[in-house]
Amino acid sequence: MSVEAREARQPWILLSPALTAIVLLLVVPLIFILVYSFWLRTATGADVAGFHLDNWQEALTDPFYRDILLGTLKIAAITAVVCALMGYPAAYFIARSEGNKAILLLLLMLPFWISYIIRTMSWINILGVSGAFNTFLMWTGVISEPIQMLYNQTTVILGLVHFLLPFMVLNVFVSLDGIDTNLEDAANSLGATKWESFVQVTLPLSLPGLAAGGLLCFVLAAGTYITPLVLGGPRDAMFANLVFEAIITQLNWPLGSALSLMLLAVLGVLVMIYNRYLGMAQLMKGLG
Amino acid sequence: MGGMGWHLIRGWAILVYIFMFLPVGVVVLLSFNASQFGSFPMTGFSFRWFVELANNDAILRAFRTSIILGLLTALISTTLGVLASLALVRYRVPGANAISTLLIAPILVPEVVLAVALLLFLNVLGINKSFALLLFGHVIFTLPFVILVVQARLVAIRRDVEEAAMSLGASPMETFFQITLPLMLPAVLAGGLFAFTISFDDITGTLFWKPGGVETVPTQIFAMLRNSISPEINALGTVMIAMTVGLPLLGAAVARKISRNSGA
Amino acid sequence: MTKKMDNTTRYERLLERYGNGDLDRRSFLGLIGAAGLAYGVQTPFARQALAATDEVRFDGWGGVVSEAFRKYAFDPYTAKTGVPVVDGTFGGGDEYLSRVKASQPGEYNIAHLSGVFDYARYANLGFASELNEANIPNLEFVIPKLVDVYRPITGGKLSCVPYDYGTTGIAYNRKYISDEEMKTKGAKILIDEAYKGKISGWGDWRTRIWFGALQTGQDPNNAEDMDAVWDAIRAHRDLSLKYWTSGAELMSLLAEEEIYVTEAWSGRIYALQEQGHDIGYMDPPNGYGWQECLFVIKGSPMEACEELLNFMLAPETSIAVAEGQNYPPALDPSKVELGDKIPTLPAFDPEGTLAGLTFADPGYWNGHEAEWSKTFGRVQKGY
Repeated sequence: MSVEAREARQPWILLSPALTAIVLLLVVPLIFILVYSFWLRTATGADVAGFHLDNWQEALTDPFYRDILLGTLKIAAITAVVCALMGYPAAYFIARSEGNKAILLLLLMLPFWISYIIRTMSWINILGVSGAFNTFLMWTGVISEPIQMLYNQTTVILGLVHFLLPFMVLNVFVSLDGIDTNLEDAANSLGATKWESFVQVTLPLSLPGLAAGGLLCFVLAAGTYITPLVLGGPRDAMFANLVFEAIITQLNWPLGSALSLMLLAVLGVLVMIYNRYLGMAQLMKGLG
Repeated sequence: MGGMGWHLIRGWAILVYIFMFLPVGVVVLLSFNASQFGSFPMTGFSFRWFVELANNDAILRAFRTSIILGLLTALISTTLGVLASLALVRYRVPGANAISTLLIAPILVPEVVLAVALLLFLNVLGINKSFALLLFGHVIFTLPFVILVVQARLVAIRRDVEEAAMSLGASPMETFFQITLPLMLPAVLAGGLFAFTISFDDITGTLFWKPGGVETVPTQIFAMLRNSISPEINALGTVMIAMTVGLPLLGAAVARKISRNSGA
Repeated sequence: MTKKMDNTTRYERLLERYGNGDLDRRSFLGLIGAAGLAYGVQTPFARQALAATDEVRFDGWGGVVSEAFRKYAFDPYTAKTGVPVVDGTFGGGDEYLSRVKASQPGEYNIAHLSGVFDYARYANLGFASELNEANIPNLEFVIPKLVDVYRPITGGKLSCVPYDYGTTGIAYNRKYISDEEMKTKGAKILIDEAYKGKISGWGDWRTRIWFGALQTGQDPNNAEDMDAVWDAIRAHRDLSLKYWTSGAELMSLLAEEEIYVTEAWSGRIYALQEQGHDIGYMDPPNGYGWQECLFVIKGSPMEACEELLNFMLAPETSIAVAEGQNYPPALDPSKVELGDKIPTLPAFDPEGTLAGLTFADPGYWNGHEAEWSKTFGRVQKGY
């Protein structure tokens, strides 16, 4: 076998376990979902097989779904930006600190040891009208009546940021940690200020981690349903709530299938764009 | 390092940590609460829930299941993820963009849909639910986390270091284990940590895929939601936190002591 | 797990189940084929044929409920019959139904479901089994009214035994709302502008429509003017802080004083009162009564399930579960001594006639399920 042929085969050998798993456990099941999206749900709950476009027509033309989808993308984008603003400096601190980095990172994952639903519900003890924050403000005399802080869009975003921030920090950290600190020193010795060397050297080099973290935060935020249920008011539902309700509460699998494929398509396009402009562009730079 | 900027960054990082620890603090405090329903003000200090936790077989069994499931998920997911990332970053693969998207797809589909879809597929094949299915379900949706973080690190590792090793006579295998792997180790560990925590915390997929008699900590908590979550769950959280914070600190202290003794 | 059983026995058992109508023809033939194959390769199908007769699967609520079942029913049952009970849990009835719908026949056996509604849904989807009541002597002690509602749905036969009951009434913080005010306002307090932002409600379409009917002075089991009901639901939504989705959440919203008034499950409010919270509970006229049952899903090993149901209905099991979750058991107090705590539970009827409770009419509600659940999904989100 020629060297070229071996070179060409090697990546496929490396990719095959992951691709096999994804095809068997994701792609094939998704074909079922695609088929299901053309079925119909009857009044008694049984599904009728066939090729009906009703679900798709409803999912694509009804402004109800479009509005909630756009709202969801907006919340996901805000969440990703807030995570980046909060997470980047923290990751920078961990990467450049002289302390034990492993412990600092592990500490960040501590909230995960407490189940998602419990830590989401525990915000009532912090921000609720008789929670810690209000009690403290009343004690200091800043306010005389407790403020209603919970159950709106802001608290949904707060819950999402709390859930997703560790993913942002870890991704950025991994990138920052791989950068040779000599590069920054070199820039400094050439007369750049600390800020200039950060913006011109460190930031660009850590971009792949920031982008990966941002993507992760965005798509995960766009797919949550528990956070808006627990921390949102009546109008703060997100798109995954619609999918969850269609599948679970209404047992309307055909419509739920169409809705979830719609979300998959929108997010898929965004990931393609990411891969094209951030993933691949960085890759080429790395190779060049 | 010093200066104004560094102080600001450190202050910011401390605020981020406080934010992350707020709900943790609530749970830890409530685990020492004497009364049964988690609410403030606390009615008294008590170790009662820790004692009850130690005697609660159902929760301890669920905890063991969660840990084993998380570790296996992390192991398999990290292995698959590292191999796939290497292929995508180090080779020219036709259609790499599409493959990257496909590998990230598991977190783009709402979990409840993925859960139902996989079960429909298994029914057609006539395969029953099993622990292995649950495990592979977890592997599927933790894989994107691993791939994203490993790829980001791999891109930053300069190809010429590897090429230098090869030109000095190292085989591709030796190069990987002696040069590439150590350089990307932080990302591999981060990926494994992601996979473990995601698996440990997962609820929706687990509800659908768990076979009879298998419960994880989140499914146990979910089943308690209708009535009330027993404070033993808070106690379990406190124990886990004490272990994660305590063990590394203890380890570091022991290591310091040993080095001091040998140094003297 | 795969206990040795020769193929003749297995064939006989399957034949018996087929004769009883527990298995439809297709799965019967499938299982026979699988039994034949079992000599050679252990196919997944063959394992299922074995599992169906070797163990009973139960699914229900976790925590205190499953602990009580394990201690008072499952362990004694296994000791007596040698059949292990594998228990699972779920977070809600809707979620469990989705799992059953995506399962293989025989995988799930007995489940602790909400009465009438789910009973009718399962029957509509073809999951109803047929119990041989002669095998469940403890069924005699159950309040007849609870049993009778099921029979018309499944042609006079039963697929379940009733297990407990309760009400969804209105809970209010007595610091801010007096008992007198509750009496005058009734269900309308949930759409009272005076408590804007301090109101909550269950995010469940049936409950919302039921209370919408009460607020517009209609019969909840036969509302004539649905537009008025939807308007009431919208009015409630706009005054609400949020919808709650679980008993644990309901309790913390009330205990932390995030809200002053909401619909609530009777047993949860009792638990709050036990802890010393000054929360009142009231069932408005035509208030919402409900019951839960132990449902046997089609394709289950019937005799094994019937015997297990008998263990679960035994007074000591029923009482332990009831005391754990604060909902009275389905047992008739005129026939069974229920101890000290149960008579103090809300919704408890010492006569055993349940004359004061209004239950949902399954035909009416399930007939509108597809339409109403979907419409509520929109109204709930501000449309």
